[in-house]
Amino acid sequence: MFRHTPLRYAVLAILAIAALMQAFTAGYFGLEILIEILILCLLVLALDLVAGFGGMVSLCHGALMGVGAYAFVALNVLADLDPWLAALGAVAITAAAAWIIGAICARSHGIYFIMATLAFGQMAYSYVFESPLFGGDDGMGGIDRFDLSAIGLDLNDSRSFALFCLAVLAAAYLFATAILRSGLGRSLAGVMHNEKRMKALGLNTWRIKADVFGLSGIIAGVAGVLAAQHIMFISPGLMNWTVSGEALVVVILGGLGTLVGPLVGAAAFVVMKHELGEVTTYWHLVVGVILIAVVMSRANGIFGWVEARWGDRIERRLTDATRSPAQKEVSTDA
Amino acid sequence: MTQDLSFWTLQTLNALQLSMLLFLLSIGLTVIFGLMHFVNLAHGALYALGAYIAASIAGTAGFWVAILAAPIGVALVGVVLYGGLIQRMRKSGPMAQVLVTFGLIFALLDLTRILWGDLALAIATPAALSGQVELLGVSYPAYRLFIILLGAAIFGALALVLARTQIGAMIRAGVDNDAMAACLGINVERLFFVVFCVGCALAGLAGAVAAPLLSVTPGMGLQILIPTLIVIVIGGLGSLKGAIAGSLIYGFVQTFGAVLAPQLASVLIYALLAAVLVIKPVGLFPAKG
Amino acid sequence: MLETRSLTKSFGAVHVTRSVSLKLERGERRVILGPNGAGKTTLFNLLVGELTPDGGSVHLAGEDVTALSVPRRARRGLSRSYQKNTLFDGLTVEENLALAAAVPTGHATRLWSDSLRQPEIRDTVAEVAEQVNLMPHLHAKVSEISYGVRRQLEVGVALATRPLVLLMDEPTSGVGPEMSKGFHDLLNNLPRDLTLLIIEHDMDLAFAVADTITVLNYGEVVFDGLPEEARGSKLLKDIYLGSWEDA
Repeated sequence: MFRHTPLRYAVLAILAIAALMQAFTAGYFGLEILIEILILCLLVLALDLVAGFGGMVSLCHGALMGVGAYAFVALNVLADLDPWLAALGAVAITAAAAWIIGAICARSHGIYFIMATLAFGQMAYSYVFESPLFGGDDGMGGIDRFDLSAIGLDLNDSRSFALFCLAVLAAAYLFATAILRSGLGRSLAGVMHNEKRMKALGLNTWRIKADVFGLSGIIAGVAGVLAAQHIMFISPGLMNWTVSGEALVVVILGGLGTLVGPLVGAAAFVVMKHELGEVTTYWHLVVGVILIAVVMSRANGIFGWVEARWGDRIERRLTDATRSPAQKEVSTDA
Repeated sequence: MTQDLSFWTLQTLNALQLSMLLFLLSIGLTVIFGLMHFVNLAHGALYALGAYIAASIAGTAGFWVAILAAPIGVALVGVVLYGGLIQRMRKSGPMAQVLVTFGLIFALLDLTRILWGDLALAIATPAALSGQVELLGVSYPAYRLFIILLGAAIFGALALVLARTQIGAMIRAGVDNDAMAACLGINVERLFFVVFCVGCALAGLAGAVAAPLLSVTPGMGLQILIPTLIVIVIGGLGSLKGAIAGSLIYGFVQTFGAVLAPQLASVLIYALLAAVLVIKPVGLFPAKG
Repeated sequence: MLETRSLTKSFGAVHVTRSVSLKLERGERRVILGPNGAGKTTLFNLLVGELTPDGGSVHLAGEDVTALSVPRRARRGLSRSYQKNTLFDGLTVEENLALAAAVPTGHATRLWSDSLRQPEIRDTVAEVAEQVNLMPHLHAKVSEISYGVRRQLEVGVALATRPLVLLMDEPTSGVGPEMSKGFHDLLNNLPRDLTLLIIEHDMDLAFAVADTITVLNYGEVVFDGLPEEARGSKLLKDIYLGSWEDA
């Protein structure tokens, strides 16, 4: 079951500080990369919630993010709604879509679950690809960012937008941990460990899976809204299954079922993509080889590996460190 | 609408041609899965590799040499993959396999780009098959007809091998229960190896055969992967019957969908897949009940 | 409390359950005996709904539950333990019990509260842990406790849903004689109004704990009565000879 270890807190703090420093010091290009990382973080957070804590390996989360983006654009641009209302609607639509997909796929397991989610994702992709309403292959533009002038922020400025995304990510992270620490999240752990027994105990396991899938859809929908606002343009490519595949790769490279690891993975992945992209056009080859190496090493990603190797030691040292000043105090008193 | 007989004949032939191409790809993938419980997402990349090998050779040695060399070349790559990766990943869960082969897709994609460049290659249809054939009142490209016949021939040959030969019986036993098959003295490891290589060779053959119809690009493997996966999931993993049924369903739905309801065609096939998974979560003709 | 009427099931040509009719009163403790392959576990699977019968019906607290799914029967108070440990392996003993305890209270599906921190669930966990002697192991992971303790947890998880009827599938299978004795004590700790149906191989234990005994052979009820009657039964001796002499 999910819990925060000192190591996890430490990594979260480092990530937060790094993101803040980047947000305040980086130039335009650095900010764009930061925003890209933050949005990918949201997506992999949503994916880790279902894959890492519910055993539901989804290949439709990229498409769910796309549903969020397209629904936002439909409501914002086509229906001319206020961006906030449009975002709310888009997140609700994405969550509903995710809940339905989760409910339908809940009966499938293993490779069939992966394929079923893939089918739903590709269905959405093909639909927008063919649909003249959503601009088809050409995509759509004319998207507004949120208006935060009331609190003195202009989100059309990259720095402000990056900070806004960071705040949203922090909220989404808290939301995800709240889910995992709720009765629903505990039951999800039970379903992942032994679905048969959970049924025998009287739990409608499909309902648990669908509910968490729907909640994960909320985060994916938020990612979609931010992605649409970030690029201010959307195209079907956003929904392609390779986006889901890459998100899964990031979750795995970071550390499945650790929540913190995928965030590390997302940062590493985006930075690697850009850095390698400058050196060689063949960065896919490098990513592919790293992915194969990580999976074959049987470590649970970068963070999982660190956790397995040093997690206990760090925890002990930290608990010792917090205890020793208190002990010293006692000894001086005496 | 041009709904006279020749229209239906033509579309049926097109559907069959697509089906047979998918069959060549899916049969290898599905039997590898049925036998080894291994999900090889890189199967599409092997198909692309087959197309590239054929395209490189056809220019100098001619089409017929190319179509023989491609399966052999891809099978050799299969040998390397089997020894290096597949064998070690066999006991891992489906997710680890999906990911390793996903990494393999990335790697093979760039390797083909490094070796052959980013530009699309073209390969001419062989002279003997470049004309049109009069068939059932329509004039149809001979090369496409050749694909249909080749697919049908390979289906027949595989059905015969599976039903009549000793290795076929061993494969059926292995798909049914590999632990039991091993107890019966079947060298399961060698059987896996042979089946994997044959599956790779068929993927290479499919690539070579498809090359004159399409342009040969690094992305062609990714494009064909999803249809192939749909075929084997609709058909049911592990069975020849499932592979051919799934291929035909995909081919016909896709082809007729595109001409009769172009707006819906691409969504239709995914909706069909979702429907199959809801009603029969393990596909129409799974190898195991 | 629990009743079956002409329950029938076959796998292909093999009749694993032949017209089994049983009736358990509230608080009754019945032991099912029978040789391997007599269809005891199949009967359990039919009772809880993991298998669908070909014919006949299952009644729980006076209501026909034959058409209900496994979770719905469980929520009506039918709980079972498995012959082969079916636990949440990566979790602690406490978490295992809490997962089960949270189902009937509704906390298991709630997003706004943590089932592990609810006082009523903690109480149930503590109470069940006491009943099945798991107190010293509460914070150990399932992977860290011995096989015998896992068998206790197997029963504990089934108990934590606060069932009306508890089905125990060979609770002492694979454990040593002392553990079997311990299990006898454990049964004495359980509330007297809990209806128990126990598959048991250990004859001494069976006679010690049973109010009534049912003997299955080839999927058929061949004896149904009091332990004293069973003890003298020639029929039982004949079909159960091997185990009889072991015991």
